[in-house]
Amino acid sequence: MGAPFDYSYVFSFLPKLLSTLGVTMLIVAGSLLVGIVAGFLVALPRLYRIPVLNAFSMVYISFFRGTPILIQLFLFYYGLPEILKLVHIDLSRAPVMVFVILTYGLHTGAFMSEMIRASVTAVDRGQVEAAYAMGMKGHQAFLRIVLPQALAIAVPVFSNMVIALLKDTSLAFTLGLMEMTGKAQTLGNITQHFIEAYLALAFIYLVISFTLEKLLLRAERRLMRHEVPESAARKRFRVQEKLSYRRIIAGIRPEKGGAEL
Amino acid sequence: MIQLTDISKSYGKNVVLKSIDLTVNKGEVVVILGPSGSGKTTLLRCVNYLEKPNGGEIAIGDYRVQCKRATKKEIHELRQRSAMVFQQYNLFKHKTAIENVMEGLVVVKKMPKAEARLKSIALLEKVGLADKLDAYPSQLSGGQQQRVGIARALALEPEVILFDEPTSALDPELVGEVLAVIRKIAKEGITMIVVTHEMGFARDVANHVVFMDEGVIVEQGPPSELFHNPREERTKQFLKRITPELNYSI
Ligand SMILES: Nc1ncnc2c1ncn2[C@@H]1O[C@H](COP(=O)(O)OP(=O)(O)OP(=O)(O)O)[C@@H](O)[C@H]1O
Ligand SMILES: [Mg+2]
Repeated sequence: MGAPFDYSYVFSFLPKLLSTLGVTMLIVAGSLLVGIVAGFLVALPRLYRIPVLNAFSMVYISFFRGTPILIQLFLFYYGLPEILKLVHIDLSRAPVMVFVILTYGLHTGAFMSEMIRASVTAVDRGQVEAAYAMGMKGHQAFLRIVLPQALAIAVPVFSNMVIALLKDTSLAFTLGLMEMTGKAQTLGNITQHFIEAYLALAFIYLVISFTLEKLLLRAERRLMRHEVPESAARKRFRVQEKLSYRRIIAGIRPEKGGAEL
Repeated sequence: MIQLTDISKSYGKNVVLKSIDLTVNKGEVVVILGPSGSGKTTLLRCVNYLEKPNGGEIAIGDYRVQCKRATKKEIHELRQRSAMVFQQYNLFKHKTAIENVMEGLVVVKKMPKAEARLKSIALLEKVGLADKLDAYPSQLSGGQQQRVGIARALALEPEVILFDEPTSALDPELVGEVLAVIRKIAKEGITMIVVTHEMGFARDVANHVVFMDEGVIVEQGPPSELFHNPREERTKQFLKRITPELNYSI
């Protein structure tokens, strides 16, 4: 297939691919934003056991966790305009990017909501009682006691989620969006140097993943500074010890921040 | 003065507290004894409404709350008049010792930070932790954590401090340091209700001892009477069972 391997193409492809990095990062950033908002909205009914909304949250989570992201992309891209047509909203001119961010955002939101719920439940109830006992109000106890600790617990899971999302965005090319993977494909087609294009692409994803992971690790260290330094393995074990957390994390695919238990 | 009137509490069909009446005078140390499951923890937690009593009246100082129709605001007021020291310490794990003590002062009492800091330092000195101001709970021993817990309770200058088995999660060699701190503050005339199994402590420090069993107060009185001259059969049985402990306690 294609022209004989020539590594010099790898280097010449790098800057060309990087010219579309902005598109990929826009999908990641936009989806994270949508995902965090959706995640909170979906987690709240589960945390506070709000009857009807709770059921809705569960359906939402099952759908986005239980179906492939590719199918979700197609359903939203082709299906949503059809449904909205019924209520006379015309989406035929909406940019592909909108559908892509919406789909990835809602998809990430499902995992995000489980992360939020697990992290909040993992903060020990006794501290909340101590806060109430000293006369704090509900929102004070949540913002000052629960949230900072829940964030610290969530960061490693969040970090894995961002990296999974970054890699998932490579499917957006199937809708014709010219992000990095789409660009690589085009370059391959033009030059017939497919392998070189994908090698360059893999290298870029790797560097970004690595950088993101390091950055988020620093955030985690900062948020976790109240813990005595301990080995990463022990820390993960301790987090997983919490039963509620364990059950939920086990339901998240490993590449999305879950753990095999 | 703390006055509990006709406090009752049940979980479903399980009646845990049956019409409890208890009066604690200002400056008094009341120790609550009783077998496991008798409702001691539940009673303490009703006083600051961590558990909602099914009925009765709670009065702390001049503030009175009818349990059945207590509003959020009333519960909040009530909680500001008491403080609690927990069996599992329940320190805020993401805050240092001094931040734990300052938290209530700054957030609940709205005290300026600088002033709260000075006050917290003084309190941590009092419980013997002047050198641990900036340590996180995870860097402290159980005994040290519980002493931070006591300083945190003292900071709010509550009308009563509720202790729920403050030493029973501790290694035996750490019990003494915590009891010593509680003794010290008892001498300063702070009103306390203490659930404990430390009989030696109860005999020396309590002004008043309450024996509970199966959700009722079986007998109460000054320690000299309750320990040496119990009237009720159930009290005698209980004391006989834990008497060996008497010899070992501090
Ligand atoms: N949240 C709850 N839900 C249901 N039942 C409860 C709850 N909390 C306590 N109980 C029940 O109430 C009873 C009294 O419990 P409580 O913890 O007050 O006893 P205790 O005297 O403090 O015992 P211990 O000495 O073991 O601490 C027990 O039978 C317990 O099973
Ligand atoms: Mg108890």
